[in-house]
Amino acid sequence: MKRILIIVVALLLLLTALVAAGNRGLGPVVITEEGTQQIILRLGHVIRETKPGWSLRVPILDDVKTYERRLLYLNTEPDVIQTKDQERIVVDNYAMWKIDDITAFISSFPKGMQQAEKQMDRVVRAGVREIIARHTLAEVLTDQRSEIMAAIRQRVAESFADTGIAIHDVRINRTELPPAIEKNVHARMKTDRDRLARKYRAEGEEQARKIRAAADRDAQVIVAKAKGQSQVSRGEGDAESTRIYAAAYGKDPEFYAFVRSLEAYRKSIGEGTTVILSPDSEFFQFFVGSGGANERR
Amino acid sequence: MAHDEEDPSVDAKVNRSVKRLLTSVLVVLLLLAGSAGWAYTGFPGAEYLGFYQLKPGQSAVILRLGAYSRTDSQSGLRWHLPIPFETHDIVNASEIMRLEFGIRSDTAEVPEGVLRESNMQTGDNSIVDLGFVMQYRISDPYESLYGVADVVPTLRDAAQAAVREVVGKMTVDGVITERRGEVELESERLLQEIVDSYEMGVEVMQVELQQVQPPEEVRAAFDDVVAAAQDANLAINQAKGYENEVIPRARAEAIELTESALAYRDAKIAESQGEAERFDALLVAYRAAPAVTRKRLYLETMEAVLPHVEKVIVEPGAASILPHLALGKASRGEP
Repeated sequence: MKRILIIVVALLLLLTALVAAGNRGLGPVVITEEGTQQIILRLGHVIRETKPGWSLRVPILDDVKTYERRLLYLNTEPDVIQTKDQERIVVDNYAMWKIDDITAFISSFPKGMQQAEKQMDRVVRAGVREIIARHTLAEVLTDQRSEIMAAIRQRVAESFADTGIAIHDVRINRTELPPAIEKNVHARMKTDRDRLARKYRAEGEEQARKIRAAADRDAQVIVAKAKGQSQVSRGEGDAESTRIYAAAYGKDPEFYAFVRSLEAYRKSIGEGTTVILSPDSEFFQFFVGSGGANERR
Repeated sequence: MAHDEEDPSVDAKVNRSVKRLLTSVLVVLLLLAGSAGWAYTGFPGAEYLGFYQLKPGQSAVILRLGAYSRTDSQSGLRWHLPIPFETHDIVNASEIMRLEFGIRSDTAEVPEGVLRESNMQTGDNSIVDLGFVMQYRISDPYESLYGVADVVPTLRDAAQAAVREVVGKMTVDGVITERRGEVELESERLLQEIVDSYEMGVEVMQVELQQVQPPEEVRAAFDDVVAAAQDANLAINQAKGYENEVIPRARAEAIELTESALAYRDAKIAESQGEAERFDALLVAYRAAPAVTRKRLYLETMEAVLPHVEKVIVEPGAASILPHLALGKASRGEP
């Protein structure tokens, strides 16, 4: 009973020691961690590729090499590139790639990751240069950006066919215009803005003048209409008064003529007027001759 | 007798039992003291036995012999098989992380190179100065650890690629003004698409534009456009003010005109009615005594008129003296 317990504990301790050694790349147990991939070489020949988990090897005889299994990021150096329309542009790229086939990767890049990254940097830059040279600046900057990136991706992927590398993505993350071109763009933007500002001001004035003119017109119309209306009113007054006079005076036109004449004399004969009177006149009826001579004339 | 023989052996047995009991108690006490000491010093070495602690929002990705076993998101004190059989990595899945582009909110002065990051080309071949902030969190702890090797540099470059691609399809006016929100949403969508294709377990929470402005070299010209729009509005408002002044004045004048015309009409009618009534009254009097009234009216008029005039009384038939009279300056030179 006791012996069994001791054996079990000893076995557990041995297992722990073996796994712990495997984690450090020693001993017969191979532990491949998630995110990595390993290759087991026996005297330089590939025996097996491992996936995450555990496996066994012959210690000393078998060699284990570890590589990334995750997607890898590579930022290439920004480059000045000439477009189809002879414009120059600074392009910065990045690439996402992974080691797809560890055996092929080792034979293509015996010196390892650094060698692979160096070559990738070169190929990506060459691909970018080649593809962008087929497009105009406007196409690169705007409407065909994603197509261009897809073409670069394809071009780079082709170069790395059968090297154990899979190109997942190549993307332009930054573009910049050289200072001279940037200056031109600034100048053009400025003239655009100036034009717009002038247009706004002129349109504002147009609107303002339109409103003022309409206001003046409306005001004139209002006054003129009122003038017309007032003429009508005055005419009504005159007509009515004429009608009233005619109605009244028509009752005795002769007497009206007499009264109205007297009134007219009062008004029209004033100071500075010389009146030549005949003693025969009605006024002097009683002045010269005997009274009443002409009374019944 | 037997009792005598048994007595010492029973004693020994009791002795032994007591000793055993004391030993057990001592061992338990020692174990308790040891545990207390271990607890007091913060359980050193507990992680080797497979203990780990998760705070709310954290997740642990557990590997068994190197291969993925499970993701544990239960907070509290947790346990897996002792190391080296199982290992864990803790990921802060609920923490929202932030990346800044073209701006740095944590430093006052702008470092070299940051400025260029904000320099972007728009679809109308113009340049805009645009800084933005991206917020993200981990949506899949396993992918976040084992999907992409360099998470932050990858996110930085992908975010820039996405925003620049979106801005490259718009006009500078659109980016600066009314289509800002569209830039944010579209960048967010595109970036999530890119990030999903990398299987890196990241959820893009937000792409938020910070400063969006024309480049410094042309900023004055852009400001002038805004000023021009304001000038235009001012001119229009002034014109409306003029309109608001002129029209009421015209209405006032119109009212004056119509009112005075009505006054004229009414006065005229009233006047003529008055005169007509006076005439009627006079006529009534005249008809009562026509000759006397007539005479009286005539004489009254003469009486009123003649005192103020020069009077010449000439006999009938003495018309020959007429030329000798100074009948006014106009006729003086005539023979």
